[in-house]
Amino acid sequence: MSKRVLENLKTTFGDRVEIHEHSSKRAYVAVSNDDWMTVLRHMYEVEGGRLTTATGSDRPTGVELLYHFAFDREGTVVNIRTTLDKPFPRIEALTKYYPAADFIEREIFDFLGVEFVGHPDPRKILSSHDRPADFHPMRRDE
Amino acid sequence: MSTTIPIGPFHPVLEEPEYITLQVEGETVLSADIELGRIHRGMELLAEEKTFDQDVFLVERICGICSASHSWAATLAMEDIGGITIPDRARYLRTIVHELERLHSHMLWVGLAGHIIGYWTVFMWGWKYREPVLDALEAITGNRNNYAWYCPGGVRRDVPDEVWPPVLKSMDEFAEKTNLLIGAILNDPVILGRLKGVGILTKEDAIAYGTLGPTARGSGVDIDVRRDESYGAYDEVDWKVITQPDGDCLAVAVVRLLEMIEATKIIKQCIKNLPKGEIRSEVREIPRGEGIGHIEAPRGESFHFIRSNGTNMPVRHKMRAPTFLNIPSYRPRVKGETISDATLIFAVIDPCYSCTERMAAVDPGGKRIANGHDLIKLSHEKTEWLKKNL
Repeated sequence: MSKRVLENLKTTFGDRVEIHEHSSKRAYVAVSNDDWMTVLRHMYEVEGGRLTTATGSDRPTGVELLYHFAFDREGTVVNIRTTLDKPFPRIEALTKYYPAADFIEREIFDFLGVEFVGHPDPRKILSSHDRPADFHPMRRDE
Repeated sequence: MSTTIPIGPFHPVLEEPEYITLQVEGETVLSADIELGRIHRGMELLAEEKTFDQDVFLVERICGICSASHSWAATLAMEDIGGITIPDRARYLRTIVHELERLHSHMLWVGLAGHIIGYWTVFMWGWKYREPVLDALEAITGNRNNYAWYCPGGVRRDVPDEVWPPVLKSMDEFAEKTNLLIGAILNDPVILGRLKGVGILTKEDAIAYGTLGPTARGSGVDIDVRRDESYGAYDEVDWKVITQPDGDCLAVAVVRLLEMIEATKIIKQCIKNLPKGEIRSEVREIPRGEGIGHIEAPRGESFHFIRSNGTNMPVRHKMRAPTFLNIPSYRPRVKGETISDATLIFAVIDPCYSCTERMAAVDPGGKRIANGHDLIKLSHEKTEWLKKNL
């Protein structure tokens, strides 16, 4: 497992990260909205993780973001999770620091209506342009 | 004063829907904008209404070329949730089909690249040499694409021993012809003139844009999920990851060409060392939890994330194809190049817009002469013929 990565996360962030090791190759790390960008930048800039993609899902507690960082040399994936409040979820954009997140964050904005603050190009990406601006097909609001 | 040049919404060469807007000054490209979504089919939502078994068939239809890749990644994610281990024979059978897919996908790209630069001989050769690979796939799985081969716990069908000798022979012939093709391409001054030094993606950009597969390896980024994650039988056979330092169109072409030779080596070793035994372990249920499966598809890493709530359907199934992350690298790549190279540079990532179509043969009078059942029957007859005669 990315023992190194998880140990570093524990040392750097202490109780602010909640780590769940699913298996020797997969781990899930829950963080608060406030620590979100610091942890993501740590994963990319310090640990050298590669952002493979991000999963956004509408859950009963809010809109959940799950960013998947792969550590290729170790063959592991560490996932960083946070939950945003509905009905207007918003969070800082990783794209400002890491261009790979560009399309990924645009997709989450498009389907779940998460506003990524500071995103250089916050347009829809996949859904049809003739849909209303607040049309987010994966939201499960009443 | 810059001019706007639209390409699309239908790619003139790749025959796929995309829309690129180039800002040019004279012949030089200043910037590019790419629009996606013209064939978005809402598969992530659809997957939430299907059972896990049905999901594998659904993701197979994300793309006709990568049908083995997506279904393998999805089954790996399901196995990750349940901590399911699969029999050795299944690991080898999965690897063989996946590498055959890589062969035909790369060869398809080589042909298309020839088509794009107007070199029809390469197109004809490439697609001619690709055909025996599809025949081998049909002999093993029963279909040229969409193999219905992977299932949680293993593979769906076993393969009789008599299928393997002709496939081995076909691989030897394929490697021989590919070596010939590699020699012809890499020594051709016209091809070198069109590809060398064109559309350079630096290693730093390749990492920053998160590029994957041959696109990244052509820029010297040494990543390959097959080696790094060591799923399937990849850590039990002898092969190497191909990288090239230059980052231009030629480097990516070389990576793909040499990877085909490596793939034939993997297939031959897997067939020779194929273990006997079960092809599937019993999977009674996918428990509550989250799982990730990622594999090295021909174009790069395919990534699937599945969340299960303990029922027979996933509550979330995230799918990410490699092209989604490779497309943004077009922007740094095309900047400063000429318009004539713009389509070639876009094609170098081997973009795939997930296309599958239905067909019906219609005579000139408008009367339908063959329906889906007739075509399936014809397909079955050809499979039988191949099994006897390959």
